[in-house]
Amino acid sequence: MEIRTKAQAGTLQSSDLQVFLEPAPTLSIEIESTVKKQFEHLIRKTIEEVLARHEVRQGHVRVSDRGALDYAIVARLETALRRASANPQS
Amino acid sequence: MVCELLSRRDIERARDLIRRCALDFEDDFDNLLGIFEDGRLVATGARSGRVLKMLAIDPDRQGGDLLGRLLGELTRLGYEAGRENFFIFTRPASTDSFRCLNFVPLVRHPEAVLLETGGGLARYLLEREALVRPGENGALVVNCNPFTFGHRHLVEQAAARVPHLYLFVVREELSAFPFAARLRLVREGVRDLPNVRVLDSGDYAVSAATFPAYFLKRKSGAARIQMEMDLLLFAEKIAPFFGIGRRFIGTEPYCRTTRDYSRCMRKLLPPRGIEVTRIERLEAEGEPISAYGVRRALAEGDFERLRALVPPTTLAYLLSEEGRAIGRRLLTDPRRH
Repeated sequence: MEIRTKAQAGTLQSSDLQVFLEPAPTLSIEIESTVKKQFEHLIRKTIEEVLARHEVRQGHVRVSDRGALDYAIVARLETALRRASANPQS
Repeated sequence: MVCELLSRRDIERARDLIRRCALDFEDDFDNLLGIFEDGRLVATGARSGRVLKMLAIDPDRQGGDLLGRLLGELTRLGYEAGRENFFIFTRPASTDSFRCLNFVPLVRHPEAVLLETGGGLARYLLEREALVRPGENGALVVNCNPFTFGHRHLVEQAAARVPHLYLFVVREELSAFPFAARLRLVREGVRDLPNVRVLDSGDYAVSAATFPAYFLKRKSGAARIQMEMDLLLFAEKIAPFFGIGRRFIGTEPYCRTTRDYSRCMRKLLPPRGIEVTRIERLEAEGEPISAYGVRRALAEGDFERLRALVPPTTLAYLLSEEGRAIGRRLLTDPRRH
């Protein structure tokens, strides 16, 4: 998948997260989280796995996390990716 | 469900809730959202550009997830409108409610806190890292609406006193001349000064986020607090990054807000290791040169007078179609900045 346009998914409710994607020449991940100290590495790992699975190699990924569990992170990120990779003309 | 408040009746309900939470209702919002429960408005909040405000939760319903739902939707709409980072001004006691929604305090003042989400300050600094010069550098924050001989004099005087001078041009689009034009005229006007770096102030100096009252011109306690927070942000976050040990300011004969800002600067910056130096204004025909005088001359079509007030680079712009169009608008617009 390719991040072609800006896109977002998710909410700021407890146990959820917001994902923001935008095109960029390199791949970067920025994490804001209420549990950043304890869990940043795990959130990052989950995001990296999803990106690798969908062969995303470029783009800026920012998440604002409120203690979401893995499946929520995967679901929100995949939704955002689908939106970001949609052909703008279609 | 979070919904947009559009009808006059719903806006009236929001106004009432905001007032009950001891906040002021301001009608310059892009989105006004609300959450209803059993037909009753229990939470409201607004977005004005990148500032989220008038966040009010029914006193009986605080401590739950209403604030998160509201902020999630406000940032979602803001992102759709092209914004990436968002600011909130709040009372110190409310800081933690926003922190647990990933808003990070940028400045703390005894009476207010400015928070941000989206990592904007870190990005702003990172993008300007290449401009950083070692040494005890100077800074000058200018609006230059538009660039005059007075600004040129100020920059020359300041640049002669420090190894490097950072010239921050206010980015906010609340002035008669657009930011792109103001920045270009500044760059053209100081091109020959080798130790001057021109950069934009981003959201972090005299912006609608850090200092809305500069543009509102309303004299109130809020204006003073914002002014102080703008300077604290400069002293704590901007100056250490760029190696700024000195801030310059021109003497201000006309504008009271700018004069108060200068006074505030002399009170807050020196204790934080930043020397403040005032520079006397340049005069033309016995009067200090001001951008306000330039705008007036432009509005009146007095091109002889303009020639005495602005360098040829600015004059060429003022005489262009774009410059003349702004002159015509100035005739009917009483704004001072």
